[in-house]
Amino acid sequence: MIISAEECGYCGACVAVCPHGTLELEGMRIIQEECKNCTKCLIVCPVGAIKEGNHEV
Amino acid sequence: MKYDVVVVGARIGGSTASLFASKKGLDVLMIEKNQEIGTPVQCAEATSSSTFQTLEMEPSPKYVCSEIKGADVYAPDGTHGHLEGGYAEGFILERKIFDKQLAIESAKAGTDIMVKTRVKDLIRRDGKVCGVVATHMGHTLEIEADVVIAADGIESQVARKAGLKTQQTPGTLCSCAQYEMVGVDYDPHYLQFYFGREIAPGGYVWVFPKGDGVANVGVGVRSDTKTAYSFLRKFTANMDATPVELNIGGVPVQGPVDKTYTDGLMVVGDAAGQVEPFTGGGIHVTAHCARIAGEFAVEAIEKDDTSRGFLKNYQKLWKKEVGKDLKESLKYRKIMDQLSDEEMNILAKFLKDQDLESISKMSMLGFVREYPQFLKLLKEIL
Repeated sequence: MIISAEECGYCGACVAVCPHGTLELEGMRIIQEECKNCTKCLIVCPVGAIKEGNHEV
Repeated sequence: MKYDVVVVGARIGGSTASLFASKKGLDVLMIEKNQEIGTPVQCAEATSSSTFQTLEMEPSPKYVCSEIKGADVYAPDGTHGHLEGGYAEGFILERKIFDKQLAIESAKAGTDIMVKTRVKDLIRRDGKVCGVVATHMGHTLEIEADVVIAADGIESQVARKAGLKTQQTPGTLCSCAQYEMVGVDYDPHYLQFYFGREIAPGGYVWVFPKGDGVANVGVGVRSDTKTAYSFLRKFTANMDATPVELNIGGVPVQGPVDKTYTDGLMVVGDAAGQVEPFTGGGIHVTAHCARIAGEFAVEAIEKDDTSRGFLKNYQKLWKKEVGKDLKESLKYRKIMDQLSDEEMNILAKFLKDQDLESISKMSMLGFVREYPQFLKLLKEIL
């Protein structure tokens, strides 16, 4: 999972549902090594700023 | 640094808890991650008069935009019911100003406040929460406290660090997007709610008027295919109005988390799921629970017992006050989840012709005979 910085509104919905604690609030970064690609964050993001994959958008 | 209480988060939950703890003479520090209290707004801004009673504040025009007398509720086919007074009464706040004012009240009562400060970790000794580690402008601070109150919103990092299960899932978190729009010419004293799987699956659309043609137009959804923002764009596409603000966020709609306390820590507000699941309204619930937490911190510190065994009473107290309402609200939300658009239309037509205060058994029986699919639903309500 990767967050598009341009679309992110820093609302924290993704952090609320991340079961692995892999989302860092500051700078809205997903720690790639720890992400299990469960897609929960992608589902709840109100603006669709989270995409599948691990390359910088 | 050492305080009696450290409150993490300076929105309604945090400011209320710190206000009432400070009023009773405790030494309180409140920490806010943003550099400005009250922004960004993540709320549709409607609340009831009970919020002001709880806070012992007046619904001043300084932070109240409009007074709400009722609501219009729309089914997918446009069938609508009008609610006047009672539960539908309330106010639309200007949260930016209201949250700031509440923090000011708390500060006047003696609360120290730090802005642009993030809690990175908890200080723990023998499993007990004894304070927080925070960063501010590149500096790290260790702040000791007898009690930590976590009011850090849906992210709920503080409670999670303390081992509490406050995590949400896509099924329990309503994903929301809202425009504050100009040119929305509805009656400024009535809320509008629109239901339907096509326009807002797992949630609803709201239009909350702020007066002078300005309104919060928002959508809450639980959908794994489309975003809240896309539903908002669709709903507002044909409105002759323009946005001046976009707000986004998540609302917990599963009711409170199982455990809102542990050794040295209490959780309040969104972090604790203290939100009405059916409406997603959380201001009045949070204010109520946060006041209980702030006042209970005083009792715990006076008795020199901040163990989970004693802080459990915080949970007992808020459950006694709002637990039943939240359970009831969750029941209705779950029923709503099961309804198709067609069923919503049928139900709306039936309810429209009833006096909601006294729906007769005969009319219910007649309705269920005609539409047997609602029998199960009726059983759940009764």
